[in-house]
Amino acid sequence: MSEHADAVVALLNVSKEFMRDKIRIPVLSNTTLHIPRGDFVAVMGPSGSGKSTLLNLCAGLDRPTTGEVIVNGQNLGDLSEAGLSRWRSENLGFIFQSYNLMPVLTAQENVELPLLLTPLRRAERRKHAAAALAIVGLEDRADHYPRQLSGGQEQRVAIARALANDPVLLLADEPTGNLDAASAQDVLDLLVQLNDHYGTTIIMVTHDPKAARRAKRLLHLEKGDFVQADIDALEAAR
Amino acid sequence: MIKFLPLVVRNVARNKIRSLFTCLSIAVSLFLVVMLYSFLTVQDEMTVASRVYNRLIVMNVQGLAGNVPIAYVDRIRKLDGVRSATSFSWFGGKYRDEKIVFGQFGVDPQSVADVYEDYVVPPDQLQAFQADRTGCVVGALLAKNKGWSIGDKVPLKGDIYPVNLELTVRGIYDGSSSIDREMLWFHFDYLDESLKAARSTMAGNAGIVVLRAKSAEAMNRLTEDIELAFASSDAPVKALTEKQFQAEFMSYMGDVRAFIRYTSIAIVIALLCVAANTMAMALRERTREIALFKAIGFSQANVLSLFLGEAVVIGALGGVVGCLGAKLLFATVDFSKMLPGLGWLYVPWSTALAGVALAASIGLVSGVVPAWRAAHLSVLEGLRKVV
Repeated sequence: MSEHADAVVALLNVSKEFMRDKIRIPVLSNTTLHIPRGDFVAVMGPSGSGKSTLLNLCAGLDRPTTGEVIVNGQNLGDLSEAGLSRWRSENLGFIFQSYNLMPVLTAQENVELPLLLTPLRRAERRKHAAAALAIVGLEDRADHYPRQLSGGQEQRVAIARALANDPVLLLADEPTGNLDAASAQDVLDLLVQLNDHYGTTIIMVTHDPKAARRAKRLLHLEKGDFVQADIDALEAAR
Repeated sequence: MIKFLPLVVRNVARNKIRSLFTCLSIAVSLFLVVMLYSFLTVQDEMTVASRVYNRLIVMNVQGLAGNVPIAYVDRIRKLDGVRSATSFSWFGGKYRDEKIVFGQFGVDPQSVADVYEDYVVPPDQLQAFQADRTGCVVGALLAKNKGWSIGDKVPLKGDIYPVNLELTVRGIYDGSSSIDREMLWFHFDYLDESLKAARSTMAGNAGIVVLRAKSAEAMNRLTEDIELAFASSDAPVKALTEKQFQAEFMSYMGDVRAFIRYTSIAIVIALLCVAANTMAMALRERTREIALFKAIGFSQANVLSLFLGEAVVIGALGGVVGCLGAKLLFATVDFSKMLPGLGWLYVPWSTALAGVALAASIGLVSGVVPAWRAAHLSVLEGLRKVV
């Protein structure tokens, strides 16, 4: 069986260029990457190295200039915009640096948000959301609004929202970037737990070597290419 | 889509002050539009309701300013197919110091109750009116507005005519809301004799003649017969149905219908701009959220529905407050003092509900551009603001 058949994420000869004022800016160049099921990958690199572009390509939010992105056996290039939306709702969980919870919805309702796109009935949606909140240890905060939660709790609600539709791939963009050390530790513990206990595949973009240490694998991007990196050296450089 | 409704409602309530003011601007404007349209609708309803009474209005071919000799009333009564007929002479006198004149008509007291059968006068009051040459019958709304009851004196100072009338209320007519309950009827003879005594050349003018035909079928033939009968006289006449007469009467004030329509269109366009601006502001403030929605799998159609839903809810709320508020207000408050001559005005359910639908449509249309922009927002652009 080929390497990419086992992979949840397979990037095959992917290049990505952006045009800025008629200037072509290459971000990823002929990149090939396989991330197997159950992996927990930290992606590091300086600003502009292509970390977010990598995440966007894996999420189907952007399309490669050349090459193929295959996630969970689906070549994302074969899907229309509407197809990509549906695919994301069924396969993907997203965690953002700034949580992005809906301020008008309670924790429970925020977690239910992606489930509105499923055929689940209201009672089932509530059950799923409650289970996701229980996983992140916030079942007692279900009726709280985001403004009534701490930053760490908000990010845990965001993780519960990302888990609600039982995704095959969890994409986290600087999930601890806005948190204090203790809350960051809690969130990383949670991601490790999700990866260990539930086998959730996670790709986490981070600038923080301490966060990267918690992943199973480190990918370091430099000018669009993956390079070997020593995490101790990165930590020392910080 | 119904499962998005709680989310839509929460978003509407998010910026309470802005939503409140948008709803209020829609409510106040729709209140005005509904009131204007009710003016037309109720008049139409009155005309439709009166159709069963087979009434025709006979007036001088030159219009209301022309004479219809009083002798015509008897000649018309004798025509085949006429059940009853009365003069209906506009007096236009001033009551005390009031500047606004209410409808005062010199009628034939023996025929008027039959011609206007839908204007119900208690039999004893009708008899008292018929027996008193200076007696009058007033509409229930007018009586309420002026505080009149049976036996009260009503002095009217002539404005068009060089005579004053000293009337006594002998009856109060009432009926359904589709009749004009703000008129005063007095004996035509009292006016005519007063004019003759004053040696006025205005004596002998019936103003218009209102007749009641024996059947609806007889009306077309009667129209032709009447016009033919007086065609070669000094005062040729035309016979109109009440609907035609109403249209002709309105035309004296200009094209009221067109004025109301254009005013309403202007209001609707102004509202569209206000509501569209509100929705555009909401979109600008929520770029991050829209990006989030799309990132977690909401399609363009889903985002479009959410934003259009918000716009429709805001519009419909404004419509409910403005249109049903107008309905409720006119049903519970007596406006006959504030709006003299318009005491008959009410807001029909059909107009109120059409107003709510119009408000929701205003919301929908105002939301199209902002919602389309939200649906087509680049997720990456939005996410750049997120991360």
